[in-house]
Amino acid sequence: MPPRINPTWIRSSPLAKRSSQCLSNARPFSGSPHHCTRLRRSMFRWLRGPGENFRRPFPGSTNYLSGYDSQGQLWRSLENAPSRSLGEEASDPSEESNLDSEGNPRQSKAAPEDKADLRPFPINSGFISQPVLSEELREEIYDRVISGGKSVKIVSAELGIDMNRVGAVVRLKAIEKDWVKKNKPLAKPYSKAVLEMLPTTPLMTFPLRPKMHEPINDLPVHPATTQQIFEPTSESRSFTRIDASKAFDPELLPTDERIPHPELIELEKERLLGIPQEERIERQRERAKRESEKREAKDRRRKEIEEATLKRVLSAESGGNGGRWEWRFREISVQDAGKDGRAPGGVGWRYGIPHEDRKKGQVKIPTRV
Amino acid sequence: MRRKFHGLKRLKIRQSWNKYNLYNLSRLRRQDVKTRTFFQQKWTAKATTRAYHGEQIREKQWQRMFRPRLASVVPMDHRYLAHFDGSEQALGRGSGLDVDHSASGDTARKVQKTPYMTMVYAPMERRLDTAIFRALFASSARQARQFVVHGFVRVNGKKMIYPGYMLNPGDMFQVEPERVLYATGAPKTRSQRRSGRKKAKKTPPASEITSNEKSTDEDLDMSALSLSEPIATATPPPSENPITALLARARATISSVDQLTLTAKQKQAFRSLKKSAKTLYSQRENAPAFAVPALEAELSNFTALINPSTTSPTPTPVDSKTAKDTTAPGKTIQQANENPIDPSKPYGTPWRPRDYMSPFAFIPRYLEVNQNICAAVYLRHPVARPGLAEVPTPFHQESYQLAFNWYLRRGR
Repeated sequence: MPPRINPTWIRSSPLAKRSSQCLSNARPFSGSPHHCTRLRRSMFRWLRGPGENFRRPFPGSTNYLSGYDSQGQLWRSLENAPSRSLGEEASDPSEESNLDSEGNPRQSKAAPEDKADLRPFPINSGFISQPVLSEELREEIYDRVISGGKSVKIVSAELGIDMNRVGAVVRLKAIEKDWVKKNKPLAKPYSKAVLEMLPTTPLMTFPLRPKMHEPINDLPVHPATTQQIFEPTSESRSFTRIDASKAFDPELLPTDERIPHPELIELEKERLLGIPQEERIERQRERAKRESEKREAKDRRRKEIEEATLKRVLSAESGGNGGRWEWRFREISVQDAGKDGRAPGGVGWRYGIPHEDRKKGQVKIPTRV
Repeated sequence: MRRKFHGLKRLKIRQSWNKYNLYNLSRLRRQDVKTRTFFQQKWTAKATTRAYHGEQIREKQWQRMFRPRLASVVPMDHRYLAHFDGSEQALGRGSGLDVDHSASGDTARKVQKTPYMTMVYAPMERRLDTAIFRALFASSARQARQFVVHGFVRVNGKKMIYPGYMLNPGDMFQVEPERVLYATGAPKTRSQRRSGRKKAKKTPPASEITSNEKSTDEDLDMSALSLSEPIATATPPPSENPITALLARARATISSVDQLTLTAKQKQAFRSLKKSAKTLYSQRENAPAFAVPALEAELSNFTALINPSTTSPTPTPVDSKTAKDTTAPGKTIQQANENPIDPSKPYGTPWRPRDYMSPFAFIPRYLEVNQNICAAVYLRHPVARPGLAEVPTPFHQESYQLAFNWYLRRGR
C-alpha cells in the first residue's frame, strides 16, 4: 500500500494556500500546482470584494457599475450621508461591505439614482439605462385603448409615450391576455425580477399628473438638413421654418408637419389666442373627426381600386344562387418582368431563365416576415 | 483565430453577462490617443469595438452593413413651435442681437451635443440575435444566436432560424419562455442536479409517459384520500384529539415517501421523523407537552425538504396545509405556484436571476418588451438624440469615432 497523504498537511502548505485563492473548488488532496496567474487572482479578489455587490440584484433598485466607487461603495449612500467626516469615511468600507453581502440592509440606505448612476458602461457617458414602462402602466395603456376606445394618438399624448410604443404595448398585452385565457404559463418570476432591476416609469393615478415616459415629438434629422447652405434673403423678410425647409429641399415639409403630434401645436396656438377650453376641445374633436373621415375615404378608395382590378368568377352550381368556389383573376402585364425578365414586379417563372438561388453569394435570409 | 472569449490578458468586452466580462468592464479605460500613430489608434479602436459589436459576424459582412449616415432625432417642444414661427432665429443676426429664449418665457434651452459617433454599430442592433440579447432574453449574443438557430424564436408568429435576419420597425419577436428562464436563471445546485438525475432514472421510457402522468395524478388523489382515511378510521372524533390527527398525517407522509429517491439529508430527516412519530405513538396517553409541536415542526420541515412538486410523492394538500400553518398569507402560496420547485426543469427552481445579471440589465428604447410572454417589438431603428445615443456602447466615444473613420474608408 503506498503511503497516504494526509489532507491536513496539504491544506497547511503554502502551495495549497496560493491555489485556493483562485480555485475555491479545487480538490483538497491534490498536490499538483495550479496555474493561477496574477490576473486571475486579482479578478477573484475583485469579485470577492467590490464585485460582490453585483452578484445579486440590488433589492428594489438598479445595480450598475457606475453606481459604485472603486471600493465597492454605493455613491447614492454616500450622498445620502453628507454629515460624515473624512475619518469616518475611511473606516466605512468594511462596514459597508458587510452590509452589502447580506443584501437587505442596503435597501434602506440607497437614495433614488440619478443619471450618473444609470450608466451600465462607466466610461461612456453617452449611454444610460432609460426607464421602461411599469406593469401597471402597460395595463393602463391597454385599458385606455381597448376598453376606453381611445385612439393611439390621444393615449400617446396623454401619457407621454411614443405612438409606436403604445401600439406595441397593446399588441403584446393582447397576446398576454390570450395566453392567460388559454392557461399558458407566463414567465412571471422572470418578469418580476427583470422589472425590479430596471428603472421604470410608474403609473400616476388621477390627482397626480402622469409622468412623461419619453419625448413624443421627435423630429427625425433629414439628410438634406445636415449641410449648411447659403441662402440670401432680404433683411425685411420674415424667414420662417417653412421657408427654411424649402431652402433645404423643395420637397421637405416644415417641422410643424413632420413631427408625430402636430395637433398639439394647433391646440397650443388656440390657447394662446384665448379661446375658451370648451371650444378648443370641440374644435379638436372636429379636427380628429375630419382626419379619421379622410383616412377612411382613402382606405375605401384603395379597396375600390383593388376590387375594380379583381375579376371574380363563381362556379356554377346546380342548386342555390352562389357557387361553391370562387376564382379571382387579376390582370398581369408581361412587361412587368422587365427587359432581363428578372424585375421584382414580374410574376411567375419564365421559360429559359434559371433560378439564381443556388448561385454563389445569393442571400436567402428573408427581408420581411 | 480567437483564443479566449473572455480573456483577462487581452481585454475584450463581449456581449455577455459573464463575470469575467464584468471584471473586464470594471477595469476598462479610455484608449491611448497620445503616444500612438493615427493608424494604430484606428486599428485598436476597430479591434476593440468589433470584439463587442457582432463578433460572431465576419468582417466583410459588417463592412457591407456599415452605413456612413447616422440616424438622429431632435425632440421638439410643441409649445415652442406654437409660440414662434422660426423667424426670430434670423432676427438681427450679425447686428448684435442674441437669441435668448429665457427672456421670452421659454426655459433656457441648453443644447447638448448629439453623440453621433456611438451610432456606428447601429445596423448591428437590427440583427435578430442582437435584439434578443438586448431584450434580456439571453445571457449573451452567442446564446441568442443559438436560440434562433435551434428554432426557439418566432418573428411575427413565424419561426425564424436566421440570426442575421434584419428586423424591420414593427416586427415582433418571441422566444420560448422556457428557454428564457433557462438562459437568465441561476443554474441548478448540486443537490438539485442529483435529485433531477434520480428522477430521470426512475422515469419510464417516453412511450409510457402520457399514461404515467395520468397515474401520478391518480396517485395524488389517492394519497390525498389516504390522508383523510386514517383520520376517519382512527378514534372517532379526529379533530378533538390533535395527537392522533398529527400521527395520522405523519403516517400518511411516511407511507407516501419512496425512500429510494431521497438524498442523504432527506433520508436523515425521514428517519428522525419516523423515530419521533414512533415515540409519540408509544406514549400517546401521557405524552410530554413539547412532543406534539416538536413532531409538527419535524413534519413540516420534512415536507419542505422533499419536493412539493406534482411528480414528487408528497401529496400537495399537506404542503398547502403546512404553508398555511406556518406563514398563513395566501400571497406566499400564490408566489410558490407561480415559481414552483420542479426538478424536471433545466434551471434551478424556484427560479431566480443568475449571478451577475443586474449590472448588465438594461433595455434600450428602440425595443418594447413584454417579459411575461417573453416577446418584444422592434419599434424603430436606434437613434441618437442630444446627449444620448440609443445603441448600447461600452467604450468611449473617441474609440467609436476612430472606428467610424476606419470603416469610412473600408466600408462602401
